[in-house]
Amino acid sequence: MSLFSNLHRETKFLAKQRNLQLLFATIFVLSCFAVWSGISETTSQITTIERLIEKDTIDREGVLAKQSDYGSAAYYSFHLTYSSPSNMAFAAIGQRDIYPWKHRIRMLAIEGQIYETDADNPELSFLGRFDFAFLVSVLLPLFVILLLHDIRSVEREAGRYDLLVTTSKRQQRLWFSRAIVMCSALSIALILPFIAGALYTQASLATTGLMLLVVLGHITIWMTLTLTFTASKAAVKQSSAKIASMLLAVWLAVAVLVPVISNIAIEKMVTSPKGGDILLTQREAVNDAWDLPYSATWDEFLSTHPQWKNGIDMGPTFEWKWYYAFQQVGDQKASKLSNAYREATLKKDKLASHFAWLSPPMLTQRLMSSIAQTDTYAAMRYEQNIRNYHKELREFYYPLFFTENTFNLDKMSELPKFSDHKEKSKG
Amino acid sequence: MKAITKVARDEWRFWHRTKLAATIIVIGTILTIASAVINTIKMQEAMHERQHLQQSSEAQFLDQPDRHPHRMVHYGHYVFRTPSTLSIIEPGVDAFTGTAVFLEGHRQNSAMFAEQRQASGMTRFSSLTPSFLLQVLVPLFIILIGYGSVTREKEAGTINIMVTQGFNVWYLILGKYIALVACALLMLLPLIVAAIWATFNGESALITSSFVSGYIFYILVWSGIVLAVSTLSSKNSTSFASLVAIWIMLCILIPRIGSSSAAALAPTAGKLEADFSVLEELRKLGDGHNATDPAFEQLKKNLLVKYNVDSVEDLPINFRGTVAQYSEEKLTIVLNQFAEKRMIEELSQAKIARQLGWLTPTTALRSFSMTVSGTSLETHHRFLREAEQLRYDFVQSLNNAHQNILSYQADINRHKDNAAARVSADNWQVLSSFSFKPDTAQTRLTRSLVYGGQLLFWLVVVLVVLRFAVRRVR
Repeated sequence: MSLFSNLHRETKFLAKQRNLQLLFATIFVLSCFAVWSGISETTSQITTIERLIEKDTIDREGVLAKQSDYGSAAYYSFHLTYSSPSNMAFAAIGQRDIYPWKHRIRMLAIEGQIYETDADNPELSFLGRFDFAFLVSVLLPLFVILLLHDIRSVEREAGRYDLLVTTSKRQQRLWFSRAIVMCSALSIALILPFIAGALYTQASLATTGLMLLVVLGHITIWMTLTLTFTASKAAVKQSSAKIASMLLAVWLAVAVLVPVISNIAIEKMVTSPKGGDILLTQREAVNDAWDLPYSATWDEFLSTHPQWKNGIDMGPTFEWKWYYAFQQVGDQKASKLSNAYREATLKKDKLASHFAWLSPPMLTQRLMSSIAQTDTYAAMRYEQNIRNYHKELREFYYPLFFTENTFNLDKMSELPKFSDHKEKSKG
Repeated sequence: MKAITKVARDEWRFWHRTKLAATIIVIGTILTIASAVINTIKMQEAMHERQHLQQSSEAQFLDQPDRHPHRMVHYGHYVFRTPSTLSIIEPGVDAFTGTAVFLEGHRQNSAMFAEQRQASGMTRFSSLTPSFLLQVLVPLFIILIGYGSVTREKEAGTINIMVTQGFNVWYLILGKYIALVACALLMLLPLIVAAIWATFNGESALITSSFVSGYIFYILVWSGIVLAVSTLSSKNSTSFASLVAIWIMLCILIPRIGSSSAAALAPTAGKLEADFSVLEELRKLGDGHNATDPAFEQLKKNLLVKYNVDSVEDLPINFRGTVAQYSEEKLTIVLNQFAEKRMIEELSQAKIARQLGWLTPTTALRSFSMTVSGTSLETHHRFLREAEQLRYDFVQSLNNAHQNILSYQADINRHKDNAAARVSADNWQVLSSFSFKPDTAQTRLTRSLVYGGQLLFWLVVVLVVLRFAVRRVR
């Protein structure tokens, strides 16, 4: 018997089993729902961003037209930053429901603004989203277990096992081809809606291919595991349900216990400054400055911006350049804490990527959100984008503050524009 | 009655003999104890930390030197949401909402530093909270223990013997039901201990007992489902496969489908987008920092008439302070209007997801558990409202000091003579201390009635199915 005829026969068997067909149909419907809800989520994010860009421009132009000096222009105008979802984001919403993907900033100290979030409904985040990545990483193993746990025992219970083993030339092939047919059917039910979704969002061939590899890889892992286990001594003479219980225990260990324990370990391994401390430091610095002599601000400011040392003379009244200088100083004083905070987040993410090797579902989840650029790393990159843009704004405004300048609205058309830099490809 | 207890005892003896069931009970109980201990320590730490931060934030505010009162309006204040007592079992949205809000003049900031944002991202599906274990994993354990309760007797043929000998099938089923429920209740023990602990720590006994009852109901429902499927199936393996499929559906799939559907069906605009309209409204009100803004012309005229003087310099009060107070009041009305709208939208979104409690007991219990323990979205909203009240009060008190204590002359010359344009630090005492308490027991119970109803509905459904299943055996 060739492998091909084996497969052919098993496919014919499968075509006759009603309850299996029902299972595959259910999985297909679930996959459709996951893809649909992912697309609906990302489409609404994209249209929201488009609307925001439009409103933001109108709003800023209206504000700027009313100003009479650059200081007020900088104070009253807001700037939109955003991170649009990638074409693949529909398949893995990832961390985009906890980290912000839109933010409006102005020329004040960035540390006082960047932790504000316009996050999603916390109760929905708590319940969790049903996206394609969840289906593949958490539920797929359960489907494989349901399909394959009784691959041998069902024959044993029906009394056909010995007959089958003795009549087939290579018995391993028999079980293998049966498993291959089952898992192929499972893959097709899972993947078809995903491919349709990828075509709809025009995701690139490379990312779609990578996603498919991850899905197939995860199926292969669980197929191999289940097959090996059912063939092992521990499973011989056990009932179908007992075998499945043991496989479920494995799933429980890698999908639930390993992530939870890793999380505790990671929390212990990485110490991070408290977010609140960053804000407190920044607030004390900025508020004290009002009552301190001007020189206190200028000394700190000039240490990073020596080019403006000739522009620091103060008149008898309030001057914007001093105001923005102590905003800058506030950021400088908080920068050590703030860097440590971000480094801690990245370090936790890095450690999580190592721990994920202990848990195939976790690894799958992480790989998928990494391909979709919806992981923690992508969120941190967006935060860096905001910081860079804020820096550009400062570089634009400082020359206007520190050299004598009368307000000219035309000059404002040269305001730096935010652009949503994405990494083109991930290595 | 004797027959029932005999069946139950036999069932226990069987589980004792086959190591599998015993192992599951031990593992399940150890897991829940571990999670209860770890989570209690964690939430206690969080509670002490937040209380400490709250006190030091208040002390810091009061310690500020003599200043211009408006400096203090911008210096601002922090408030922290201390977790509710029952959050040791059901932390709810705690990790997903920020737990601190910065309060300052002219703005309503959102809550910052949600724990999940700084987490490793490992706990998005599972978490080591007693609530996750009890809501999602304990049903699986009940299945593993009980899938064969009746099918085992069928496969061995013993059920036929019993039926033909005239043994009442109801006794058999009830006995097995009691045995299974008792088993599952063992895993509930840590929760009961934690609830008693919470009662001694100031939670109302009515709340903790309803909380525990909710979980007992849940166990009654799941034990019923397991027994019904086992009674309806002919073989161990089919009973098992069907139960696992049902578990995936009810415990994992439907709750998440609910949350995804709610987001798709009732999308909210988000704070950022609403802020455009807020800003637009606020600009019409004028900038309270600028007393010469034309928006305050009417206010000025009224005051001049009231005090019968010709210019703002002659007013007995500081006009700049008056403007600050006036514009803060108008602005807060606008801000609250938008904040309320947003909270209502968020809540209605959450309520859509909670409706799925009619489709799965897991969502029913989760909503019940969150609303009763005071860790649901409503409690977070209450925190935001209380924080806003505190913000408005201290800002207006400072503005009042600005108007009545600081002289207008000193105020307009503040950049020339900074030292004269200050008021004594005694005025900072206006800050009232903040200690967040969840809603009263009665409010929380009323809120949870629907979800308690959902659980009750499930119990009835399960009993009806069980009745149907028993009829089939005869």
